[in-house]
Amino acid sequence: MPGVESPTEVRTLQPQRRMTNRVIAGVAGGIADTLGVRDGYVRAAFVTLITVWGIGGIVYLLFWIVTFDRVEDRSTKPVESSQTAGLGIAFLGLLLLLGAVGLWPNAVLVLTAGALSFGTAAVTDPSSPGALAALINPDAKKVSKVRLVLGGVLLVAGIVMFATAVGRIFEFGVVFLAVFLTGLGIFIAFGPWVRRLIADLSTERSERIRQEERAEVAAHLHDSVLQTLALIQRSDDPQRMAILARHQESELRDWLYGTAPLDGVDLVSTALKRAAARIEEDFQIPVDVVTVGDHRVDEQTKALVAAATEAMVNAAKHSGVDRMSLFLEVEENSLDLIITDQGKGFDPNSVPDDRKGISESIRSRVERVGGQVNIESEPGEGTEVILRLTL
Amino acid sequence: MSIKVYLVDDHRLFLSGVKAELADEFRIVGSAYDVDTAIEEIRGYQPDVVLVDVHMPDGGGIAVVEGVTGTNPDVKFLALSVSDQAEDVITMIRAGARGYVTKTIEPEDLSAAIQRINAGDAVFSPRLAGFVLDAFAGAIPSDDDPELDQLTSREKDVLRLIARGFAYKQVARKLNISIKTVETHVSSVLRKLQLTNRHELARWASKRRIV
Repeated sequence: MPGVESPTEVRTLQPQRRMTNRVIAGVAGGIADTLGVRDGYVRAAFVTLITVWGIGGIVYLLFWIVTFDRVEDRSTKPVESSQTAGLGIAFLGLLLLLGAVGLWPNAVLVLTAGALSFGTAAVTDPSSPGALAALINPDAKKVSKVRLVLGGVLLVAGIVMFATAVGRIFEFGVVFLAVFLTGLGIFIAFGPWVRRLIADLSTERSERIRQEERAEVAAHLHDSVLQTLALIQRSDDPQRMAILARHQESELRDWLYGTAPLDGVDLVSTALKRAAARIEEDFQIPVDVVTVGDHRVDEQTKALVAAATEAMVNAAKHSGVDRMSLFLEVEENSLDLIITDQGKGFDPNSVPDDRKGISESIRSRVERVGGQVNIESEPGEGTEVILRLTL
Repeated sequence: MSIKVYLVDDHRLFLSGVKAELADEFRIVGSAYDVDTAIEEIRGYQPDVVLVDVHMPDGGGIAVVEGVTGTNPDVKFLALSVSDQAEDVITMIRAGARGYVTKTIEPEDLSAAIQRINAGDAVFSPRLAGFVLDAFAGAIPSDDDPELDQLTSREKDVLRLIARGFAYKQVARKLNISIKTVETHVSSVLRKLQLTNRHELARWASKRRIV
């Protein structure tokens, strides 16, 4: 896909430290791999910069902190000499800039260190035909030792120079130097260990969170699905089994996909589904709930939900059907709630007293909040209770 | 001649159950548990109606519908699913399925649905009808073909009754129209659903889920 970097490309841009073929922490090697330059030159750059008020050392430490151990080993990319030259010129420019703004403590020192370190890098460069390179190249272990010694000497020299330079500024001199060197030593020795400890702690924490989530899922499934499955196994009434399965299905669906009410705002659709689930449970009659649009539960809609619940109870008790439907449609200016059963039906003009009471109670609930009720029924034609609210 | 039916569902237990239910009334020409076999066999057997599950590995029901309609446009699809997401339903219909019913459908309703699909009509479950009403609700977006982007009030009436669980016959009687007219309305809604560029449709479908 255009514009999307492949994972490998992304990885090469991440600051990483080398785990092999390194002198101190693999910082310079990592940078060298990223830039596509011989590691020796990067190291030389660090060493040279150390002589400029220790900037090289500080930059090295910063890189050490922000980079990560490389997991897989990677062979160095082929180096383009033009790129190396370009970077070298850029580095020279940086040095000169530092000199120009008066940051050079000692021009001779900086230039000597630069010459020495880059010189070393050049002679140990395996691609250059120098005698030293030929001598150390065949044996990798020897190479790293020679480099270690060389790097160590250069580093110590750098630190000493740095310390002298710093010591000159501060009156405390030696005390400051001692404190600084001790701190640096401790950091070099224990820095990676502290980082690893922190990483371990965060791994442990995320693992614990995962386990808690798993336990929660298990607990929920145990309380719901497993219980229902047990009940179904013990039941020999198909109707009862179907109801249990249905109820469990809608409960699980809600749990998996349900939209939790935002900021504790309850929605009419949710309230209706809850009411329908209660009817299913109490009367063993499935209710098909279809909602179009939605509205928050307030005084008015609460009354309508209550009225709808009564209508469902009514249908469950009197219609003789084995299922019913609840339909909600919310439009811009109106909310309609229709309870439909295709059962016995009745003649609205000659309602038996017990049913009249319920109809009246539905009516009074809805009319009290400004809604309208329309009950349509004919013997043998089912019943529909239409609750309407103008919003 | 009885209707040739092909079944696709990766849930074997469910598949064998449906097979047993339909065997008396239809000629079950075959069945598959996976997308690739399904596409190959449907091309070979040329069934009239394919019952296809929405959620399956390797692309699901959509892959089956898309894989067949190019070579065999006469094969009609009825999507059958426990699905929860409006997105799935809408995608199936837009891929070319002529109907969508949930797996909890009663066997006799399923038979009726297959016959209706075979006759070239559309089959909307109450839930799908509710969806379509929801999807087409609201202001008409300014689009090149406004006719495709909104439902007529008659179509809405039909869908509302279907959403309330009425069969086509009952819908016809309640609206004082013929069953044929009901079928025409539903087919017209299906066409709109498949062809509309109503830009809200995709957004709506992805945020709403059927429960």
